Amino acid sequence: MTDKRSKLKKIILDTKTLPTLPSVIHKLNSLSDNERSSVREMARIVSSDQVLSARILRLANSPSYGFHKVSTISNAMILLGVNVVKSLALSSSIFAIMEKESVGLWEHSLAVGVAANLIARKLGLQECEEIATAGLLHDIGKVIIALKCNEAEKSILNLVNERQMYCIEAEREIIDTDHAEIGGWLSKNWFLPDKLSEPIAFHHNVAQSVHHCLKTSVVHIADVIVKASGFGCSGDCFVPQIEDIAWNTLQLNEKMLAELVDEIEDKLIEVKNFSLEMMGD
Amino acid sequence: MQKIPLLLAREGMTLARDVFRGNASTGMPICGKGHELTTSLIERFDKLEVQAVYVEGHPVWEEGGASLDNLLCALDGRFIKTMHNPQNAMLHTIYKAYLIKSMGGDCDRQAE
Ligand SMILES: [Fe+2]
Ligand SMILES: [Fe+2]
Repeated sequence: MTDKRSKLKKIILDTKTLPTLPSVIHKLNSLSDNERSSVREMARIVSSDQVLSARILRLANSPSYGFHKVSTISNAMILLGVNVVKSLALSSSIFAIMEKESVGLWEHSLAVGVAANLIARKLGLQECEEIATAGLLHDIGKVIIALKCNEAEKSILNLVNERQMYCIEAEREIIDTDHAEIGGWLSKNWFLPDKLSEPIAFHHNVAQSVHHCLKTSVVHIADVIVKASGFGCSGDCFVPQIEDIAWNTLQLNEKMLAELVDEIEDKLIEVKNFSLEMMGD
Repeated sequence: MQKIPLLLAREGMTLARDVFRGNASTGMPICGKGHELTTSLIERFDKLEVQAVYVEGHPVWEEGGASLDNLLCALDGRFIKTMHNPQNAMLHTIYKAYLIKSMGGDCDRQAE
């Protein structure tokens, strides 16, 4: 790792200023998935945090997940299962950090969550909610750059405008790393499972995703489609190249892609609605 | 025809599709297509958790009134770096067709 890069890594992972996840999340992660006692314990832990409960319910009813009419935490446990509630707790905590930072990125992330969920369902994949969560969180590295490297972020944006580059190229030029790698560092720091950290770290280079290539491919394609749609604002003006490995892993074809675009566009109306309501809060 | 968030629905717009409770697409419609929207009707939809409605024409113009030409031009701009890749070119074609379909009020109405 170059000097600049390791210095930056230190700055970014400096725990004094790094956004931390509520301790509730760590408690939840230490509980096992299926034991009945865990379920009861988990409902108790989550319900004890009013703010977190409210956020979880709001996100459960957001278009990224689309569970309608989930109104209590114990309801959510029964209807959605323990793993989904864990995912929700995690993403709602991370989003609390993100919301304040940038509306455009928040809309982009919600949309990629929605798209990833729809792609996963269409392909009949397992763990669709996990994949939606990975989609929601995939650009978390950008939030961290904005939070921690304010000056560098400005230079990156300038470079993107001046030389019509992709964000990731400008990031590499200015800070010698990129938002995907930073997202990866952060996921390690937060002890996120591989099925989340790989899509976050490798959504711009799917081949590097060794254990969860399928999930990473879904997030990559979701990101491409949302950028093609022009919805939200990720910071990039250009659609990235669809990586062959992702296309082949998901065995996509023209017909499926066309159907996905229709389904995703239909759902994006709800995302807009959701984000307008949130801004009104 | 255009699908719009309920927040942007206004009195005087005409429903292009039946409206269902809570955005389901089956069951008993709570209001039939062809109805003209009123403020009280919009409030009622809101209570019944309707999120979006389909209306006649294209009454809502996002981003300072982008026309189909503008939208297609922006689409081309977004794809400028990746048209050489066959899958990207395919996605571009799909989006182009999608935009034409969603903006072409009249031909769309015939098709439904
Ligand atoms: Fe990204
Ligand atoms: Fe992205």
